[in-house]
Amino acid sequence: MIRLRMFGSLLLALLRELSDENAYQRHLAARGREHSPEEWRKFSDERLRAKFLRARCC
Amino acid sequence: MFSATSAPASRSGGLKRLLGYFLWVLVAIAAAFCLAAIALNRGEHINSTWLVLASSCTYLIGFRFYARFIAARVMALNNQRATPAERLKNGLDFEPTNKWILFGHHFAAIAGPGPLVGPVLAAQFGYLPGTLWIIIGGVLGGAVQDFVILFASMRRDGKSLGQMAREEIGKLGGLVALLTVLLIMIVLLAVVALVVVNALVGSPWGTFTIAATMPIALFMGLYLRYWRPGKVLECSIIGFLLVVAAIFGGQWVAESSFWAPVFTLSATGLALAIIIYGFLASVLPIWLFLAPRDYLSTFVKLGVIFLLAVGIVLVRPELQLPAFTRFTDGTGPIFAGKIFPFCFITIACGAISGFHSLISSGTTPRMIEKEWHAWPVGYGAMLLESFVAVMAMIAACVMHPGVYFAVNSPAGIVGATPAAAVATINSWGFPVSVAEMQELARSAGEQTLFYRTGGAPSLALGMAHIFAGAGGRAVIGFWYHFAIMFEALFILTIIAAGTRVGRFMLQDLLRHASPSLGRMRWISGMMATSSAIVLAWGYFLYQGVRDPLGGINALWPLFGIANQLLATIALCVATTILVKMHRARYLWITGLPLVWLVIVTFTAAWQKIFSPVPRIGFLAQARQLESALASGALTGAQLAQTRTLIFNARLDAVLCAVFLVLVAVILIDSLRIWAGVLQGTRESRVMEAPFVMSHLSAEEA
Repeated sequence: MIRLRMFGSLLLALLRELSDENAYQRHLAARGREHSPEEWRKFSDERLRAKFLRARCC
Repeated sequence: MFSATSAPASRSGGLKRLLGYFLWVLVAIAAAFCLAAIALNRGEHINSTWLVLASSCTYLIGFRFYARFIAARVMALNNQRATPAERLKNGLDFEPTNKWILFGHHFAAIAGPGPLVGPVLAAQFGYLPGTLWIIIGGVLGGAVQDFVILFASMRRDGKSLGQMAREEIGKLGGLVALLTVLLIMIVLLAVVALVVVNALVGSPWGTFTIAATMPIALFMGLYLRYWRPGKVLECSIIGFLLVVAAIFGGQWVAESSFWAPVFTLSATGLALAIIIYGFLASVLPIWLFLAPRDYLSTFVKLGVIFLLAVGIVLVRPELQLPAFTRFTDGTGPIFAGKIFPFCFITIACGAISGFHSLISSGTTPRMIEKEWHAWPVGYGAMLLESFVAVMAMIAACVMHPGVYFAVNSPAGIVGATPAAAVATINSWGFPVSVAEMQELARSAGEQTLFYRTGGAPSLALGMAHIFAGAGGRAVIGFWYHFAIMFEALFILTIIAAGTRVGRFMLQDLLRHASPSLGRMRWISGMMATSSAIVLAWGYFLYQGVRDPLGGINALWPLFGIANQLLATIALCVATTILVKMHRARYLWITGLPLVWLVIVTFTAAWQKIFSPVPRIGFLAQARQLESALASGALTGAQLAQTRTLIFNARLDAVLCAVFLVLVAVILIDSLRIWAGVLQGTRESRVMEAPFVMSHLSAEEA
């Protein structure tokens, strides 16, 4: 049961990483800011610009 | 020597080690036995479980022993050494990340349509050549390339392949790498777009479903931006439910006498729609369209791969295709050419893919927490992708050979009517009937499944067969269109993202000629460079659509050659680094896959340009068309089309030659450096970042 719970939390963490939600939390923590729609938009613009500068795999 | 308390502990430790050795011996025997079983079996159908076991056991051995040897002896990975993620931590791209999360992240980044489509096409040789290449190539080539490049980039503060090529080989190497990537991207985008066109042509169900993903993406973009900012997972779940609803909606559309013709598009119409889509996706704000699609397609991709693995394990389908078909002689209907070299370029991703080196020197090295994590992330993730390719091979081979060839063969080869196609395929010794194909098309909700080249429809059929086996045949139409949706969704996302990346690369290159063109936010420059990239891949797509041989015959080998040539560049960089680190001692680790790839790709490229067989050689094809033109038998529209085909064949030959020259330049440059280092006439300094002690605790690692 504990292992299953660990697997579940790892999976959720992976999904949050893939969805940039973890990166957003890191962004807020690093800058000592609170979540707000404006802050998300700022983060998202910066993150996506960097993300879509890199080549995609085939 | 031993204390009274340590003796039993030592005895139990020794016993554990012995048990461990015994288990690994068992895994090795199982790998050898299963590989022998699939290699030596003739004349009988074998169960897909053999392929699953053979690949899994070989991967385990490769991972535990070969990769560990490379990690410990060659790279000397050291957890005491701080990684760039720790030293340069900035809360954005440099961030120490849990190794399993990073594993999933890296796998999601390297897994594209290549490992799914390539094996399906290569199945025309039978299941054996492709499967062996996927397993052996993956363990000894692809995973080694990804691992060494990841290691090299990690030791160099997360530098890109181009930067490493420039530093380790020379300035020319860096420029050639950038140019090669740009050219490969253009061919890649064209070929994957062609796969989507061939999957959707004449299919109102599929076309509606994919068309519906566009407003769904826009809705998701607005949802994330204004209504629930930051709730990406929540938004993706809603998006997924809407896409599943669109699949059901597609069935209704296909059955509607009014809507079905609206969504029944020709190949040319679909190609134009995808070209317009690519342009819009490149110039629209990323948050509005591209980003939500990207999130959604990543989750759907991972989910479907997981579902397919579960389906194969539960259903354990039998392979209907033989180990070898008669087309090993090079006369295959899907693409022309013998097993050597064409099997090895048709399956690139899944065995060895140059594109992976861009990911291994991109985001991943900046997120590695401890050096030893590069072992599961770099080597292990590639093995998982290799396993995805094995699953795609299984999905292709569970179909009856007659059905497989009826779906994948172009009309130009098998005949323009279903009756003619069936007669040709039956004459090859693969029984199939028009009634059988009609019944299959009806159950899949399609008008016809003849001439659906490109690999996607047959993969979708194979997947539907497996999923339906686990959940009932009545829903085969749903599963078929679910699989088509999955393939098209993430291929179209790659097209959108790739066009954008291509635009940035072009702007970067043009910056030297005109600084204003290099300004990323200058609207006119953005429009001009986006148009240039879209027109470049759009031209090849249009060429593929008009090609009587289905386009895949020309474009997929071109893409395979290009991708493998990029792997050659990556392996040149990797070998240069190993030579500088250890001189000739471990040169063979990347040197042997490099030699193999050079032989394969240069032979394939040479044959594609100069083979006297018109279906293989571009120049021979141009000559054949010229003589048809000179004979005077062609009239009107045929004349114009033939002239275009001649031009296209020559263009493909020139492109192939350009790839060869670019890679030959890097290869010669690398050989010069290796010779210098080995003879002691050149400094063998590696450009690693200096050692800094890690302060991350073992628990964090």
